[in-house]
Amino acid sequence: MKIPAPETFEGQILALLPSLRRYSRSLTRSDADGEDLLQDCVEKVLTRRGQWRGLNLRGWVLTIMTNLYRNGRRGKTRDGLIELDAAEDMASSEPPADPLERARLDDALNSLSEEHRAVLMLVVIEGYTYGEVAAALDIPIGTVMSRLSRARRRIAERLKADNIITLRRPK
Amino acid sequence: MNETNPSVTEADLHAYADGQLPETARARIEAFLADNPDEAAMVAAWQAQNGAIRSMFAGYEQAKDTDPLLVVPPRAIPSGSKRWAIAAAALVVFALGAVSGHYGPALLEKPELQLAGDETLPKQAETAFAVYAAEVRHPVEVFADEEAHLATWLGKRLAIQHLKIPNLQPLGFKLVGGRLLPVDGRPGAMFMYENQAGERLTVLVGRNTDNRTTSFRFASSGNVETFYWIDGELGYAVTGEISRETLRKVAEECYKQFPS
Repeated sequence: MKIPAPETFEGQILALLPSLRRYSRSLTRSDADGEDLLQDCVEKVLTRRGQWRGLNLRGWVLTIMTNLYRNGRRGKTRDGLIELDAAEDMASSEPPADPLERARLDDALNSLSEEHRAVLMLVVIEGYTYGEVAAALDIPIGTVMSRLSRARRRIAERLKADNIITLRRPK
Repeated sequence: MNETNPSVTEADLHAYADGQLPETARARIEAFLADNPDEAAMVAAWQAQNGAIRSMFAGYEQAKDTDPLLVVPPRAIPSGSKRWAIAAAALVVFALGAVSGHYGPALLEKPELQLAGDETLPKQAETAFAVYAAEVRHPVEVFADEEAHLATWLGKRLAIQHLKIPNLQPLGFKLVGGRLLPVDGRPGAMFMYENQAGERLTVLVGRNTDNRTTSFRFASSGNVETFYWIDGELGYAVTGEISRETLRKVAEECYKQFPS
């Protein structure tokens, strides 16, 4: 197998893959869907390489991935029940969170619409400013704020609702 | 609203929680939050969400051995030479057409057929799986107890030096055996594996006619899933009626073990 030289376009994409993998997984519901989105995105990036203007490759690729996710992912989930499976074996610098907490957060995230989830993950995972999110998604900054707000409220509600059930269960 | 903070909006609170405010503005929000416990609790909850989300996905930021295959362009034929080939073919067709229009269409179809190498691989893998995985008594020609012989024999037929049969034991799949079968009209190898539950999967190896490399691809037909890839002179396909996630792990394991 040939490994592309770091200075080539392919080499630069290769170097971005680990963090792109994290972002694609943060948008999707399963490891398989995350890898699929990553693969679709890289294919698109390679065929559209002529459109890249030579600045901020990472931002350009993230926008392509986000648009692929927004435009085509609905209803594509096949393995909705395989959630965060491989993450258990992955080396992480942080101590593993309580599995129950993880499952609840995962469930809350999966209840978000694509539009809301994309805004949230660009801010939280990618550290985008609200202005950068607006530019990447081509939406007004007011829309960014309202989506972010709705996403956060929805997650909080889901986590709270789960709490009530959890408290009632051990009877 | 607090008179010293006449215009703290929800947007300000989000920006504060996300660390997107300059130092001076932060102090203003902190003063506001000190006087407004409800908002302070909300902001704290958002920050906790942020932390939980980040730690949930942090583990995914890692490279895989198969990553270089992902950045191989889907069609690694240089577009220049391809265009030239089509132009040349068109010229021949045109010239022949002038003599006899009858042979034109047949000549036009030929290049299409040659391009389809990486598309026929998953189909052949699915067929082989459907036919042999269902065989109870004769799923393979040579069983795993003769593994060394199987490797030498198929290696010789495929002209692969030191063909190594992937070991999938760590993933719970034991080698059943292997057989010779045609892949794109040339000798190819099929290896079959089985787990404790009796689920089978097959690994197909075939000679690739045009020296080309593709990324990992996925094909699905009913419940049968196939991962396939072409690595230089050889094409590989991993097929099974098991979860796509398991199959992906098998494919990655095979990729690691097959010589590149």
